[in-house]
Amino acid sequence: MAARVSDNGKRLERYAELAVRVGANVQPEQEVFVHGLVEHAELIRALTRQSYRAGAAYVNVLYDDQHVKRAMIELGPDEALTHSPEWLTTLTQRTAGNALLGTSGNPEPELMADLDGDRLGRAMPLAVAELRREQHLAQNVNWCAVGAATAGWACQVLGEPDVERLWELVAFCFRLDEPDPVAAWREHLDRLDARAAALTERRPDAIRYRGPGTDLVVGLLPSARWGSARFRTSGGIDYVANLPTEEIFTTPDCRRADGTLCSSLPLSLGGQLIRDLQLTFEDGRIVRVEADTGADIVRTHLATIENADRLGELALVTKESRVGQTGKLFYNTLFDENATCHIAYGNGLPYAFDGEPDEGMNVSNIHIDFMVGGPQLEVDALMADGSEVALIRNEEWQLAA
Amino acid sequence: MDERLERYAELVVRVGANVQPGQEVFVLPAVAHHELARALTRQAYSAGASYVHVLYNDGHVRRAMIELGPDGALTYSPEWLKTFFGSATGNAMIVITSDPEPDLLADLDGERVGRAVPKELVQIQVQLLGENAVNWCGIGAPSERWANRVFGEPDLERLWEQVAFCMQLDDPDPIGAWRAHVARLKERTAQLNELRPDAPRYRGPGTDLTVGLLPNVGWMAGSLETTGGIEYVANMPTEEVFTSPDARRTEETIRSTRPLPLSGQIIRGLELTFEGGRAVRVEAESGADLVRSHFATIENADRLGELALVTKESRVGQAGLLFYDTLFDENATCHIAYGAGLPFLLESEPDEGFNIANIHVDFMVGGPELDVDAVLADGAELPLIRGEEWQLA
Repeated sequence: MAARVSDNGKRLERYAELAVRVGANVQPEQEVFVHGLVEHAELIRALTRQSYRAGAAYVNVLYDDQHVKRAMIELGPDEALTHSPEWLTTLTQRTAGNALLGTSGNPEPELMADLDGDRLGRAMPLAVAELRREQHLAQNVNWCAVGAATAGWACQVLGEPDVERLWELVAFCFRLDEPDPVAAWREHLDRLDARAAALTERRPDAIRYRGPGTDLVVGLLPSARWGSARFRTSGGIDYVANLPTEEIFTTPDCRRADGTLCSSLPLSLGGQLIRDLQLTFEDGRIVRVEADTGADIVRTHLATIENADRLGELALVTKESRVGQTGKLFYNTLFDENATCHIAYGNGLPYAFDGEPDEGMNVSNIHIDFMVGGPQLEVDALMADGSEVALIRNEEWQLAA
Repeated sequence: MDERLERYAELVVRVGANVQPGQEVFVLPAVAHHELARALTRQAYSAGASYVHVLYNDGHVRRAMIELGPDGALTYSPEWLKTFFGSATGNAMIVITSDPEPDLLADLDGERVGRAVPKELVQIQVQLLGENAVNWCGIGAPSERWANRVFGEPDLERLWEQVAFCMQLDDPDPIGAWRAHVARLKERTAQLNELRPDAPRYRGPGTDLTVGLLPNVGWMAGSLETTGGIEYVANMPTEEVFTSPDARRTEETIRSTRPLPLSGQIIRGLELTFEGGRAVRVEAESGADLVRSHFATIENADRLGELALVTKESRVGQAGLLFYDTLFDENATCHIAYGAGLPFLLESEPDEGFNIANIHVDFMVGGPELDVDAVLADGAELPLIRGEEWQLA
C-alpha cells in the first residue's frame, strides 16, 4: 500500500508539473494564481510546489467553495449575487502579466439542483467577469485549466467513489502513460494546428451540422481563424489553455445561425445538469430553449446576460481524442468538450482572428460550451461558391490535414 | 445537515461576532475546517450579512513557499490580501484558530520558517484589531488530529461532544445561555472594578502569592464593544475575568495545578518563586528548562502579565480535559501569565508597572483548594474565590 500511495503522489506531481510547464508554462519570476475548490487541495498543493520549482516569485492560492456560493444564492440578499468584492477585483487585476492555473472537477455536480434557477443564473461577480473578459481580449495571462479527481466526481463518472480509477482516466487523457508526455503533447498539438491551418486556408463561408434533432447552419467570418488551445500571450509566452485539449475551434459570425441544434451529452452547469438541450436559432439569436432538465438556467442566461443568446464558438473534435476514447461521460466541460464536437453560446474568442476581431464576433460576459458531436453527426463546410466539403463523418476527419 | 454544527455556527455568529444586518462577514478558516466554514457562512447570511467572504488558508501552500520559494516570497504581502483585510474595517470577522497540523513545518529550516512573515499584512491585521473597529470572534474547529492529541485516538465525535459541552450547545437555548453567561462575567468585572483591590492573594497547596495591581488597569471579561458600539465576544469559549498586574509587585510562590503544553513539551508541577516582581526560582516536575530559558533569554518574561479568575461554572473546567489548545485550556480554571501585559486593559498611558515582553504564557493555578482574596488598600482582606466559587455578592 505504501508503495502505491507514493506512486500516486508521484503521479500527482508529474501531472502538476505538466500543467505548470506545458499548460500555463510558468516563467521564472512570474507570480502564479491558483484557483480551485477546497476539495482539490491535494492537486492545488502540488501545483503550488511545481510552480515554485519552475521559478515562480510567489504563488497566490484562492480556494473556492461551492457551499459558500450555495449559501449566498439560497440565503443572501440580491445584491450579493452579482457583487465583486474589492479584494477579488484586485486579485483579478494582478493576474495580468502573470500565470493562472485553474482546477476543475465538481465533487457535487448537483449541489445547486434545488435552487431557484433565476438566482443561480444571476449569481456572478459582474465586475470580475468583465475584468477576466478584458484580460482574455488582451491575452496577457498565460493560463491553464486542469481536472482534479474527487470522490464526488468519480461517482458521477464511474457510479462509485473510485478516485483512483478516475485519476487513471484523467492521467490517460493527460498522456501521462507516454514515455515523454511533454514531447507527446507537442506532437499532438502540432497535429491539431495542422488541421486548423488547413481549414483556415479553405475559408468556408459556413459550417453545417446534421444529425438526430440537429440541422444548423452557422456563418463564419472572413477574418476568423481556426486554432488549437495552444496560444501565445501578448508578451510572447506560449501556453496551452486547457489540458487535456483535443479540439480545433473558431468564432462564428454571431449574426448568422439558423436551424435547430440538439446537445448530445449532458452538461454540468452551475450545479445543475442540462440534459437534451434543444436550441432553435433565427438570424443568429436563440429564439427557443427546451431541455429535459435544466432549461431554466439556460433561459436565465439568455434573458439576463447581454448577447448570451448568440454563438461564440464552434469546435471540432474527432475520434483520436483521448477523452473520447475513454468512452466516459465526465460531467465536466473541460473533459467532455474534448470528447466530441461542441458549440458555445456567449462570448466569442477574440484571438481566433487574423488581426482585430471582426464586428460579427459576439461579445458577452458568459461562455458556455455544450456537446453536439457523436457518431451520427455530419459536419460540412459550405463554401462561398455553393459547393460543400465534408469535414467530419463518423467522428473521423475528412480533410487531408 | 449537521444540526450541532449549525447550532455552533449560529452561536458564534449571533453571540461571538454578533453579526449585524447589512454587515459584511470575513471568515478565516483552514482548508480542513470547510464544514464549519460553510455552516458559519449559512448562519451569517441568515443573520442578515450583506456578503460573506471566506478566505481559506492552507499550511501546505505555506510549507511549499518556505521550502521551495525564493527569499522574496517569505515576507511578501500580496496586494489583494492587503485589500481583503483593509475591507474588514467596520465589518464582522470570524477566525478559526485551531491549527489542523501543528507539526507541518517541523522539518523545515527554522531560520526560513522564522522569517516567513508577511510584514505589511501583519501590520494591517494588528492595526485592524487595535482600532477595535471589527466585531470578531476566535473559535476552535474539532478535527481528527486534534482529537488524537486530546484522547490518543482520532475520535472526532468524542471531541465534538466535549467542544459542544464547553460551548453550552446542549442547552435548549445556547444563545440565551451565553448571553446570561457573559452578563454574569461582566457583573463580576463590575464588582472588581468598583472594589479596586490593591492586590489579589493566592493561597493553596504550594502556593502563597500576592500580586499588586495598577491603578490605571481595570478588570475585563466576557464581551467587548467596537468603536461603533457593537458588542462581541472575542474568544469562545470564555470563562475568565482578567487583568494585568503591577509587574513590580509580585511576592512569594505559586504552583501550577494543571499540565501546560508548550512548544512541544508538557510543563508539569511548575513552581515559581517571586521577589520584587521577578521570578527568582523555577522548579517543575517536567519542562522546567524551557521556562528557565524563557526567563533567561526574553526580556521581562520573568514578570507577570495577566491574572485571570475562573470558577467552577466553567464548562471547560468541568470537561476535565487537557485540550492542548490555549483557547480552551486557559478557561478551565484560574490562570496567571508570565510575560506581556494586555494593552487593551490600559485606561491611560502605561506606567513602568505594566509589563512589556515578547512572550505571553498562561499557566493554570486554580482548583478546589485555591483560595483567592482581594487585599484592599486599607489592608482589609475580602474573599474572592473559595472552593472554586465566586464570593462577591
